[in-house]
Amino acid sequence: MGRLKQKGKAGAAKAYMTRSIAIKKLQCSLADFRRLCILKGIYPREPRNRKKANKGSSAPTNFYYAKDIAYLAHEPVLRKLREHKAFAKKLSRALGRGEWSSAKSLEENKPVYRLDHIIKERYPTFIDAVRDIDDALCMIFLFASLPSDSKVSPTLIENCARLAAEWQLYVMHTHALRKVFLSIKGVYYQADVLDQTITWLVPYQFTQTIPVDVDVRVMLTFLELYQTLLGFVFFKLYTDAALVYPPPLDTQKDEGAAGVGAFTLQEAKDARSAPTAKSKTVEVDGKRVSSKDVRQTIKSITAGAAGDADVDMPAVDVAANDEDEEFVEDTAEEENPDDAPSAPAMTTAALPTLKTLSTLPQSTSAKLFAPYTFWLSRETSRPIFEFIVRAFGGRIGWPATSGSGSPFDEADDSITHVIIDRPVVQRANESEEEREHRRRRKYVQPQWVVDCVNAGKILLEDLYAQGKTLPPHLSPFGERADAYDPTAGIAGADEDEEMEDEEEVVEGGSDEEEEARPLKAALKAAATAEDAAALRAAELAAEAAGVDFGTFEKESKKAQKKAKKAEVTKEDETEQNMNKMMMSNKQRKLYERMKYGEKKRAAERQDLEQKKRTIEKEKKRRSKAS
Amino acid sequence: MVAAVEVKKYSKKRKAGPQEGIPASPPSAFPQEVGLEMGSEDEGEEVDEDSDGEVEEFPEIDTSSDTDDEEYAANGASSEDEEEGDEQDEEGDEEYGDLTDEEDHHIFPQAKTIISDITGQPKRVYPEIEPDYDSDSSTEETPNRVGNIPMHWYDDLPHVGYDINGKKVLRPARGDELDKFLKTVEDPESWTSAFDKNLQMDKPLTPEELDIIRRLQESENPDANYDPYEPMVEWFTGKGKEEVMPISAAPEPKRRWIPSKWEKQKVMKIVRAIRQGRILPNKPKTASAAPQFYAIWNDEPSNAPAPLPAPKPRLPGHAESYNPPEEYLPTEEERKKWEETDPEDRERDFLPQKYSALRLVPAYDQFIKERFSRQLDLYLAPRVQRVKLQINPESLIPKLPSPSSLRPFPVYRSLQVPHEAKRVRTLSVSPDGGWVVTGDEGGVVRLWEVIVGKEVKRWTFKSKVGAVEWCPRTDVSFFAVAIEAHIHFIIPPNLPGPILAATQNALAPANLPPAPSVPSAVKWTSVPAAQSSSDTPVLALNLPSSPEPPKQLVWHRKGDYLASVSEGQAGVWIHQVSRRHSQAPFKKVKGAVQLVLFHPSKPHFFVATQRYVRMYNLAEQTLLKTLMPGIRWISSMDVHPSGDHLIVGGYDKKLCWFDLELSDKPYKILRYHARALRSVHFHPTYPLFASSSDDGSIQVFHARVYNDLMTNPLIVPLKILRGHDVKDGLGVFAVRWVPRQPWLVSAGADGQVSVWCS
Repeated sequence: MGRLKQKGKAGAAKAYMTRSIAIKKLQCSLADFRRLCILKGIYPREPRNRKKANKGSSAPTNFYYAKDIAYLAHEPVLRKLREHKAFAKKLSRALGRGEWSSAKSLEENKPVYRLDHIIKERYPTFIDAVRDIDDALCMIFLFASLPSDSKVSPTLIENCARLAAEWQLYVMHTHALRKVFLSIKGVYYQADVLDQTITWLVPYQFTQTIPVDVDVRVMLTFLELYQTLLGFVFFKLYTDAALVYPPPLDTQKDEGAAGVGAFTLQEAKDARSAPTAKSKTVEVDGKRVSSKDVRQTIKSITAGAAGDADVDMPAVDVAANDEDEEFVEDTAEEENPDDAPSAPAMTTAALPTLKTLSTLPQSTSAKLFAPYTFWLSRETSRPIFEFIVRAFGGRIGWPATSGSGSPFDEADDSITHVIIDRPVVQRANESEEEREHRRRRKYVQPQWVVDCVNAGKILLEDLYAQGKTLPPHLSPFGERADAYDPTAGIAGADEDEEMEDEEEVVEGGSDEEEEARPLKAALKAAATAEDAAALRAAELAAEAAGVDFGTFEKESKKAQKKAKKAEVTKEDETEQNMNKMMMSNKQRKLYERMKYGEKKRAAERQDLEQKKRTIEKEKKRRSKAS
Repeated sequence: MVAAVEVKKYSKKRKAGPQEGIPASPPSAFPQEVGLEMGSEDEGEEVDEDSDGEVEEFPEIDTSSDTDDEEYAANGASSEDEEEGDEQDEEGDEEYGDLTDEEDHHIFPQAKTIISDITGQPKRVYPEIEPDYDSDSSTEETPNRVGNIPMHWYDDLPHVGYDINGKKVLRPARGDELDKFLKTVEDPESWTSAFDKNLQMDKPLTPEELDIIRRLQESENPDANYDPYEPMVEWFTGKGKEEVMPISAAPEPKRRWIPSKWEKQKVMKIVRAIRQGRILPNKPKTASAAPQFYAIWNDEPSNAPAPLPAPKPRLPGHAESYNPPEEYLPTEEERKKWEETDPEDRERDFLPQKYSALRLVPAYDQFIKERFSRQLDLYLAPRVQRVKLQINPESLIPKLPSPSSLRPFPVYRSLQVPHEAKRVRTLSVSPDGGWVVTGDEGGVVRLWEVIVGKEVKRWTFKSKVGAVEWCPRTDVSFFAVAIEAHIHFIIPPNLPGPILAATQNALAPANLPPAPSVPSAVKWTSVPAAQSSSDTPVLALNLPSSPEPPKQLVWHRKGDYLASVSEGQAGVWIHQVSRRHSQAPFKKVKGAVQLVLFHPSKPHFFVATQRYVRMYNLAEQTLLKTLMPGIRWISSMDVHPSGDHLIVGGYDKKLCWFDLELSDKPYKILRYHARALRSVHFHPTYPLFASSSDDGSIQVFHARVYNDLMTNPLIVPLKILRGHDVKDGLGVFAVRWVPRQPWLVSAGADGQVSVWCS
């Protein structure tokens, strides 16, 4: 006899842990546990049998892998969190006693954790990291558009905005953007970086407020991780593209709301030396911040020249730029999409590895807008269209009200398209020059740009001309294979339409109606007639209705065939139904589920088709009436 | 309450001295709430329970029980209090002003401040207490002289103690809760009175006591004359009082004035470390020197597999567009439905909307909420890896041979024999397949012909027919009918001569064995051969009386043994016709026997109780196996002609197929009837079986059994025969196959018996 097996010593009882037990084991607070889970990417698991995993209790709980928790127990961040707890106690004690100097020294020695090792653990290879930046990008873009408040610090928002701009710069530089979708939630972009499809959502330019039922702490913890992840990913992307990371920021332009244009992409002269050089400058940065710049900023604040405390960072950046020039050849000319040779130059700079090759512009559609120059009208969103147009190789300008940094002004002769989003207004006092512009340029609505991108070719501008009713904007991401396709003509609609037409005709003429009704009845009779006598009777009826024999015969044969087919299918169906009773319970449930889903989708599809039909009919009627 | 009592004790001790003469002044309204009565009222119920619980125990003297009792009694004391209250009301007004004025009112004996002779300092002197008759509080006029004892000792007695003369002090009357309440409303002093446990009634507190309470509440010293700011007495300071002589004569140690060497060494160690650069005094510790971002992926990745990436959110469809095709826009009712459903139940988290221009698109108000819920999903939602099935659901349906290739089987109803709307419970087909006997609830047994349905004869009995069963022998022709506690054997009319003779011979054998010495519970009575006719039963069998007729009759294949099942314990009998002998094979059976069955080839006997089917060997009298169909209540059972397979139907809609050589668990469980199964039957020659149910349908199956043990039996559903009406929730009671023909006879609750032909 083998050893007796004790309950709860092996299997699911051992492999899973409830959250409360995990917290007890880690000896941390729930908030710390949450932070750890977010940072380490540990999530609850669903055991096969909840009762077995929870010692016979079926109470609703979340389970974690015991190994995951054991893995968390060794986490340096957990140690730092504990240290931080001790630090917080010491600090509050010092503050409570009014021991300012010790509080200051404590603050200086505050334990800070780094997430580098976590990034490396969660994403062992660079591809893993790139594949998983979707959520990170969404969050960064969201926070870049948030107003700062007591919970969300302005530096955080500034950092998010910087990361967002860096990503956009990279996508524009490599022409990696593939699809754009203007949805009611925001703008979905899809880019192809290192053969990974990355989709992110950017809200429209409105001030968002964080709702009260959203836990900002959770979002900030995620943001902490995402900022680090994106920093490393961008560093690698930039250095692989032989660019300097971080791209230097032009403070003046930034203050003029130049957005992405405030950053300049610098090519590293020697791709290998670039990182070390950069790291040096970072070091220099660190020292500068601590001493001189702070004083300068304070001075500037007291002087009231600049109202913001944030000025210090740009100032440092400027300083850093100056130093950069020692190591990096200044190619500070603005990254101009028209400068096509920039990409080959880059490849010569570094050895053409696989990764750099993949960043090369791939197809002509990636430089779709290269021959065109766009002018943004005042009411269109500059960040969206500047990004799209530049990512597809076009040039774009905008009025000063949309921000500084426009490469050309409205009078530029090279402008081919004007993106405009307002109704047509006839103006009497148009100058000659304006009229000339109006004649030479094409005025299109913003959707044209996006639809061109999604179609991969330049569409006719006429459909999208200013003031016209736009064709529907469809998702470039596609739907399920069996979903309703709005672009296709409705399948199976022809028959119905015929019927409907027939009915309409019937409505039109009363004599025709009289003819058609008995014919139908006769055909029905012929189809169901089993013996010759019944068929004969049907024939007579048809004749009485005034149908000649030839057509009747044809129709009746058709009808009979149809009836037979229906019978056969019905028999088949009953056979299938009977065979269903031989299925096992499991199979039957699976079958029912699949059938349910199929039926639901079909119903959805039919519903949409039906709606489309009624809409079209309505349209037809209206056009007829008018 | 406790506090109040303590206060009382305290005040008693101090109540001596010249101020003794102050009459028991009425309580006055304090600005502070004392809150004495409130507690006692609220806790009234608890108190009862407590005291009840403690009665059984040894009467330990504990304070809690004391106070409890007092509260308990407090209710009663209220009525007397009211009277006292009236008397004291008059004086109340006079005393009212005194209390507020601290200076004038002295509760304690007045202290005098005199200059001490010894120290020359002023000190307070309290007047001497003269040990006369009045000096002690114990001499107060308290009627009850029992002393400081737990008052619950007097709980069961009508009195509360004894006065100084040894007379009983009777327990004061207590009012009920209403009185108590009225007192709190009417009597202004009631809230300043406390329960006197000695007298077992509420007594108003004196102003001294109230003052003490107030002081305690304000965290003051209860002594009104206590002065916390007395002038300090300088004993050792001041002119002329300095200590000139040292306390200790030991010489001053050296360490008091020499700097520490060890301290210096320690400091020097740090100084040296700073000089050598081992300690950086003011380095910024928080801002780490490491670069923020570096090439983290340049070195070789570890071999550990990357954690599974989180599932990506679904990409948006056309409906989410700012300018979708019009058919995506919700209609008014769809919009309403969407708004009415809970956010978590919605299929889409947004309503499609159409804007004519991009500039008109507003901000999406749920943006942050959606991001947040995505993050919650990422770290809070349990994840399960699921294989996505890419199969056609039709491929799940088992591929079976087409029913048309398995002909013949009954497909249509060839005739219908009405039974005067009586439920037909039972039917039997003659072994040659020409005749059917049916028994209905009206007690009528009909004999009719299968092909045309012509009724040949009917026998009318007094009560309903439990079962009819045709003897399976082909050389004789008779059937058994079970009615009440009788089994009748009937010879059908118009039999050819030799068969009739053989039948009569079989039912009335010439040489009967001698009757057993112990008279059996079953009696055989026969009609003399001369009178025997087809009109009346030839032979009858009287079973032990039971309210219901035997519910089942089963013949052994050879036609000599007949088993009958009646309700109740020991309801199973096996009758031998040739010997006119009956025996009960089981003394006691576990559970109520539902059905029995003879094995077609072996001396085995199946007994179905409510849940199990047991298989006995009659020759060896052993239990062979117990089959567990997993049915709650077995309704029907039949054995395959080969004897290796058994089907069991149940009232819980299930049909179980047992391969007797395989296992005692069913090989297949079929659930296809919508209601309870009533009857199952194997065809004796064709590979068919049928089941009937209360849903009014009959299911015909093809059941092919293979001789080799490796092949599983093939079960193919062939046809659902519908035609019987469901009446009172009852459908088809019995189905029987016609031997030698693929025909089926069914009897229903609607009073119809149908013949189904191929």
